[in-house]
Amino acid sequence: MLGPTLRTMTRAARMATVSGPERMKLVLRLLAQVLLLAAVVLTARVPPVWSVDPIHIGLSAPLTGNFAEYGQLFQKAIDLGVEWINASGGVQGRPIVMIVGDSRADPKEAAALAQKFTSDKRIVAEIGDFSSTACLAAQPIYDRAGMVQLSPTASHPGFAPGSPWSFGIVGTQAGEGPFMARYAVQKLGKKRIAVLHINNDWGIVSKDLFIKAAREMGADVIAVESYFETDTDFTGVLTKLRGQKPELLYIPSFYNEAALINKQRERLGWTDVTMMGPGSLYSPKLLEIGGDSVNGLYTSAAFFPKDPQPEVQKFVKGFEAKYKATPNMFAAVAYDAVNLLAFVMAKSGTDHKAIRDELAKVRDYPGVTGKITFTERRDVVKEYRQLVIRNGDFTLYDK
Amino acid sequence: MLLSQVVNGLTQGSLYALVAIGFVIIFGTMNLVTFAHGEVYMIGAFVGYLALGVYHLAWPVALASGMAAAWVLGSVIEKTAFRPLRATGHMPPLLITIGLSIILKDLAVVVFGAENRPVPSVYGTTVQVAGIPVSVLQLVILGLAGALVVALRVLLHSTKIGRAMRATAQDHEAAYAMGVNVNRVFNIAFALASALGGAAGVMVGIYYNTVYPAMGGTAGLKGFAACIFGGLTSIPGAILGGLIIGVVENLTIQFVASGYRDVVAFAVMVLILLLRPQGLLGKRLRMV
Repeated sequence: MLGPTLRTMTRAARMATVSGPERMKLVLRLLAQVLLLAAVVLTARVPPVWSVDPIHIGLSAPLTGNFAEYGQLFQKAIDLGVEWINASGGVQGRPIVMIVGDSRADPKEAAALAQKFTSDKRIVAEIGDFSSTACLAAQPIYDRAGMVQLSPTASHPGFAPGSPWSFGIVGTQAGEGPFMARYAVQKLGKKRIAVLHINNDWGIVSKDLFIKAAREMGADVIAVESYFETDTDFTGVLTKLRGQKPELLYIPSFYNEAALINKQRERLGWTDVTMMGPGSLYSPKLLEIGGDSVNGLYTSAAFFPKDPQPEVQKFVKGFEAKYKATPNMFAAVAYDAVNLLAFVMAKSGTDHKAIRDELAKVRDYPGVTGKITFTERRDVVKEYRQLVIRNGDFTLYDK
Repeated sequence: MLLSQVVNGLTQGSLYALVAIGFVIIFGTMNLVTFAHGEVYMIGAFVGYLALGVYHLAWPVALASGMAAAWVLGSVIEKTAFRPLRATGHMPPLLITIGLSIILKDLAVVVFGAENRPVPSVYGTTVQVAGIPVSVLQLVILGLAGALVVALRVLLHSTKIGRAMRATAQDHEAAYAMGVNVNRVFNIAFALASALGGAAGVMVGIYYNTVYPAMGGTAGLKGFAACIFGGLTSIPGAILGGLIIGVVENLTIQFVASGYRDVVAFAVMVLILLLRPQGLLGKRLRMV
């Protein structure tokens, strides 16, 4: 690194003596070198105390763009995980170093990153991406190269079965729908159920699985209505549903719309109905926008920061101390992903094939988002916590 | 049930109507279609949110500040983007409005973030009117929208600037020849239209308890549709258009399915335009 630095410095010195287009060329070349130097310095952040080779893991995540919030949570949680792994001696005595790439949640970028990661001889496995779409776009490249692609959040049922090298740990809708149906029908004893769902792939799968399971448990699904992603007016559809007198209204939607639905329901004076929705509702934003109207709403979460289990509390406290914010589901699954890889590599070493085979064997790994056991499709059946909102906060519902 | 849906539809429709009136004023006086109107409405909504949700001011103050901000924004847009291009025909100003809408929306994303912002509730209670439950807020919104329309009518018919605006709308060259300061009239018309849009934005924010940078897209589309539906240059037509779209949407939810709400609303609009291309109240009335 000293060589290029010296050369850059002599160039800078020479620049003072020339002029015109020659000087312009020199300026550009100097600029290019400075950038190159900066890139070298920034990417090679190896902890200086380690004398052995580090283990490199690629992280493909949307650090900018529409989903930047989630990508940055990935990075924060993984940084924390790596810090702790390295502090306790690393993996087989070697430190972990993350090589981070920004996919901007763009399938094209995710595929380009996959090319970059798989052609980088140092990288032994990859974590990412955020969206199922980006994961699926990158999947064939990891598959051809034979590198583990471990996505913290891809929940598309087709992702993990798509390649023997792909793993998903967030769980799919196939588990959550029946879980929520049991909660509604068997735990809360509601028999007359109406559904108001968001009209996209996720919402349709989500409502279908819930309705099927609820009917099998003997519930009567009396009305199903939908809305579009850009809708903000629910007074009409709520007025209609109210006329059918359901005991429980199930809303597979995201927290923004769920908050609006509850606000408008409250304003219509419709209070004799129990509200419930899947884990997609679990966000502080639901409380912030929904206010009093979401009190009494039932939902679920695979990760609950107030869960008393020690591994959860260790992660939550560590994250809060480092970033002054409470981690959410997205941070938690990313944290689980890097720890799971470290746990596996401690046994398998860093051979690509050995990592894959050992990962596929994982049973009952105690993650902060529940126990992780891969099915033969290489996804997991999540355990969920039953939650209810009381006094403006999420609380565990244990009955 | 039917009556409840009609009330829901009228409330929503009155908000579409306020946006539509803005299009009418701008098109009527300046002969210009603007695609940035939805974003002006969004900026008004965000200012209302800041007043209500961040500075905890009373809602009339929030409404006034939203309108004032939209007025200023409209005035600036007219002066900087339209006035220099008035002689260039229709296309350049149209493209400018598209550019402006993108700039304003992305600016809001940068400044406020892309996520929904919560607007505190105002008047959360319901009252019984003629046997049906109506939320107080719906009555307030209907009342306010009505009051704004009445105020606009008074402004256009009983003030000097109103007369100047109507004269400019009829023939701006003749108005200019008669000593009307056409530049000033254009500016005030654009600002006035923007302020009405801003008012609609603040009320929508309060009604649905949320504001977000992309909210101008659908509002602009529905408002523009209501304006064409009503006859492009007729204020009563725009009001009628907005109310009909709102009511048809809610009746569709009740009697067809919620997913068909826009399909049926726009189908009714297309059908009426096929039968009456000048719009509901087009031709017969102009800016009256």
